Amino acid sequence: MNEPSVERPILLLRETAARIAPVRGTPVDEVLAGATDSFFAAESPLGTVYVAVGQEGVRYLDPADSEEDFARRYRRRFGRFVSPAQGDEVAGLAEKVASALAGERVDVPLDLSRATPFQRRVLHVVKGIARGEVRPYVWVAREAGTPGASRAVGNVMANNPVPLLVPCHRVVRNDGSTGSYAFGSGEKVRLLRGEGVEPEEISGSPYVATPTTGIVCHATCRNARRIQPYNRRAFRSVRSAVEAGYRPCKVCRPVAAA
Amino acid sequence: MRNFPYGPVVVRVVETEASKLDGTAEFDPLAVRLAEGDPQAPGSLVKRHYAELYRYAFSVLREERAAEDAVQDAFERAFSALGRYSERRLRAMRLRPWMYRITLNVARNRLRQRREVPLEEISAVDSAGHDEQREGVMDALGALGKLPERQRVAVTLRYLQDLPYAEICSVTGWPEGSAKTLVRRGLMRLRKIMAIEDTRGDRR
Repeated sequence: MNEPSVERPILLLRETAARIAPVRGTPVDEVLAGATDSFFAAESPLGTVYVAVGQEGVRYLDPADSEEDFARRYRRRFGRFVSPAQGDEVAGLAEKVASALAGERVDVPLDLSRATPFQRRVLHVVKGIARGEVRPYVWVAREAGTPGASRAVGNVMANNPVPLLVPCHRVVRNDGSTGSYAFGSGEKVRLLRGEGVEPEEISGSPYVATPTTGIVCHATCRNARRIQPYNRRAFRSVRSAVEAGYRPCKVCRPVAAA
Repeated sequence: MRNFPYGPVVVRVVETEASKLDGTAEFDPLAVRLAEGDPQAPGSLVKRHYAELYRYAFSVLREERAAEDAVQDAFERAFSALGRYSERRLRAMRLRPWMYRITLNVARNRLRQRREVPLEEISAVDSAGHDEQREGVMDALGALGKLPERQRVAVTLRYLQDLPYAEICSVTGWPEGSAKTLVRRGLMRLRKIMAIEDTRGDRR
């Protein structure tokens, strides 16, 4: 077995091994770009948040305690690793996210490919709620094409993969009270105040009507904001407003059954 | 015909690895970092194993682009499987043999697919750098390629990749005795192949 002749192939193989090397070195970034999702940090009203990027855009946003915490949560939720974003790859997206989180009206591409069609419809509706306005669950359910699914909407909000970018903090309970928030109801109130919404004013009277036009709106509808204080008529439900002779606003479309 | 024990089903390979978690093996610090969410860890895994896995893939496919693609594919499969593991399981992974298994499968499948393509469609080797060193490498790999599959794997892992027998067994699932026998027979055969090629070379 130890005959010297096998020494020759061994030597040759070892020489060969030393001569085979990847031509371009180790293309770490290229490998990672295909095998992991990239992420970056951004400043937001919730403090530092981390943002992971999928094929089509932002897939996940989370105010985690640390990068490690974020990476673990992301892996638990999506079954994939994250690695730090490299260079230009997501620079444009990161800029858009930063602007959006600073309150500017920027359309940030989202990757909701992991969400169900219902979740996607709900998230899309909520994405359209403007800064400074709030809408009740019942409204989101109706706009998403599933009237009556208020509770299911609540579940989608609780698991929103991209909070702030899909402003689930602008969705309130049907009676106008602020309701819960994934990061604490206190944070929700603080976020809304920062956007010019006074949660106390809406709580219990989420609808406002005016006799000058005979129209009832969500209290934060941009048309409702123009109502003179002495003309404001607060309502707990659209139904009671309709019974009092008002018709629902065609801009904010309050749900008549609510 | 007997199937090769490192069969093409990656999922099975994964389960085998998990069943070996007896708690006695030392943890791979990189596996711990992956489990704990260190965002630099995936990059570290690529840096640590890319060159050796490339060498293996190149030895099978003998073409740069194909070797790069195979290693890329292997890492993508690896991360996608590891991503779904629990933290406990990830922590206990022996990453090196596991990466090898995936690469072995990918390289072998790709070689097979290539053989199904008519020969003339394959650009044998890129023309870049046809120097003597390169020819030496190609001759050696050509000789390796003439070995029966299991002998080729055994000899390659042992002497081209410099894996200790314990790791060769971990990669292939062979008992250590079989691995040693395969290496020995492979070397003998390789010697004969080289001797024949020498005489051919003399006639030229």
